[in-house]
Amino acid sequence: MEQAISVRSKEAIPELLRKAKEARELIIDMAATPTGCHIGGSLSVIDLLIGAFAKRGHDPESLVLLSKGHAAAALYAALYVNGTITDNPAAGYGRAGSLFTGHPNHKLPGIPFATGSLGHGISYGAGWAIAQKLKGTDGISIVIGGDGELQEGLCWETAQIVQAQSLANFIYVVDCNGGQNDGYVQDISPIRNLKERFEAFGFTVREIDGHDFEDIWTALEPDPIRPVAVLAQTVKGKGVPAIEGNPEAHYVKIPEKLARRWKVSLP
Amino acid sequence: MEGEPAMTLSGRDAYKDELSKLAYGDERILCMEADLGGKNHPFQKQHPERFYNVGIAELAGIDIAAGLAEAGYVPFFSTFAAFAALRASESIKLAMGYMGKNMKVVAAYGGVSGGWFGTTHHALEDIAVIQSFQNIRIACPHGEEETRRVIREAAASPEPYYIRLSRNDAFDSLYRPAEASCRELLLQSRADEGGTRSRLCLISVGEQATELCKTIVEENPSIAHAHLCYVDIDSLKSYRTMLTSIADRFLVVEEHRATGGTASYLALLLPQHEIHSHSCGEQWPIYGGSHSEVLDDLGFGLEPLREQISQLEEAGVAHDL
Repeated sequence: MEQAISVRSKEAIPELLRKAKEARELIIDMAATPTGCHIGGSLSVIDLLIGAFAKRGHDPESLVLLSKGHAAAALYAALYVNGTITDNPAAGYGRAGSLFTGHPNHKLPGIPFATGSLGHGISYGAGWAIAQKLKGTDGISIVIGGDGELQEGLCWETAQIVQAQSLANFIYVVDCNGGQNDGYVQDISPIRNLKERFEAFGFTVREIDGHDFEDIWTALEPDPIRPVAVLAQTVKGKGVPAIEGNPEAHYVKIPEKLARRWKVSLP
Repeated sequence: MEGEPAMTLSGRDAYKDELSKLAYGDERILCMEADLGGKNHPFQKQHPERFYNVGIAELAGIDIAAGLAEAGYVPFFSTFAAFAALRASESIKLAMGYMGKNMKVVAAYGGVSGGWFGTTHHALEDIAVIQSFQNIRIACPHGEEETRRVIREAAASPEPYYIRLSRNDAFDSLYRPAEASCRELLLQSRADEGGTRSRLCLISVGEQATELCKTIVEENPSIAHAHLCYVDIDSLKSYRTMLTSIADRFLVVEEHRATGGTASYLALLLPQHEIHSHSCGEQWPIYGGSHSEVLDDLGFGLEPLREQISQLEEAGVAHDL
């Protein structure tokens, strides 16, 4: 089993890297629209999204959900490079008459739940996991949230239920980019001892590099007994040195000329 | 005992019993509680694999119900109205109003039916909140039979439902033909018997209000009584033609704040007609007591209703002159 995952992972990685780069270009394009976008968190989470969709996006019994909905640009980009949506999101992002709203729009394919109000995606994903357990399928629920999102009590309310319902088919990925709207998480309301917190809630905790597809692929395997929390260390603004690690890049609007420079410089 | 008539169940107990029965024929039905379903829940006994007590977690519970609905189940999530419509209002807004997930919230302890439990356990604002979310079917059944019918209608419908129940009061529902939907207005009126238009039509919403209106109409048959089980916007619109054929003056009796209640929306729908409200007003229910005693403190009851009708009729006569 381990070997099979590894082989598939290695085969898939060049393709995942290509998709991630294409998605980053789209995210930068969305930052260059008249509305701008949540670029920092979108660039930090995009590898997790690409990896999660590659892992389970093809499986109708599984759910891949972005709970930190402000990174909608990343979600739209990931769905576009995977072919789930066919319209270029950068062409319509934020515009009148377009479904590409600033937070995920459930009217679009591949988005079953409109997240954006933080915390709700986690509990929705738990509901999906309970349903698959009840049906006896192999479907799993992969919910991708953020470290700032964990300030919402609803996340922990849900973690309590996930533990009580013994949801071994539930994987919660935390995009630990360290930033939130008004600054650094550690300055505003630190989430201390995160690993121990999730362990106390009965989760198996996996700490990974959230930009390493080998790590992501392995971490998204369910535990046979317990729910999984994946603490993914990421960099806000990853791929654009000018904004990497800077919480000021939570939401930006940039000129097209700058967008072209940033796209050229993507690794 | 053999030969003894079955005792009328409260709406809450009727809900549990009816859902348990329905679940035998519909494997999609799930029963969810947030630790307020009580011990010996019949659904838990009869269908333990489809019963979930999520604990004291209303927001998460409703979001989880949305995930279950997406996967094809029909979850009924029950808690007290204050905790559903107020504490978990955002979850209801998003999952049910905005996204229209096929899930049902069954909200006991509507109004001040919690009596001495106090204001934390009362919900006099829930209809206003839920109605403002749009696209959620809202039912306020009266008595056991109507509650059972609403539960069946909810289970058969793909729409999200908010079903407001009381605590332990038990009433016999008004007669409704077996084939009739609870979305049809029930009318007690001389006009219904071929008489003339009524000077005043009482509109009842909910259990206590319907009981009050029944008493008033028995005392004064010249007053009409229209009982509304469903009070969501779509349903209220569907009543317009029937209501305006009965009377020009209406008094809505509803255990709710005046703000955002059924009367306020009917007033928007029927601008050429007089719409008045007998409601729980603007005060906070700060005293203990039984359900009806707390209502009395809020000025909602038979005597104040009789007085309000008398004032309206006097004003109506003066106006007509």
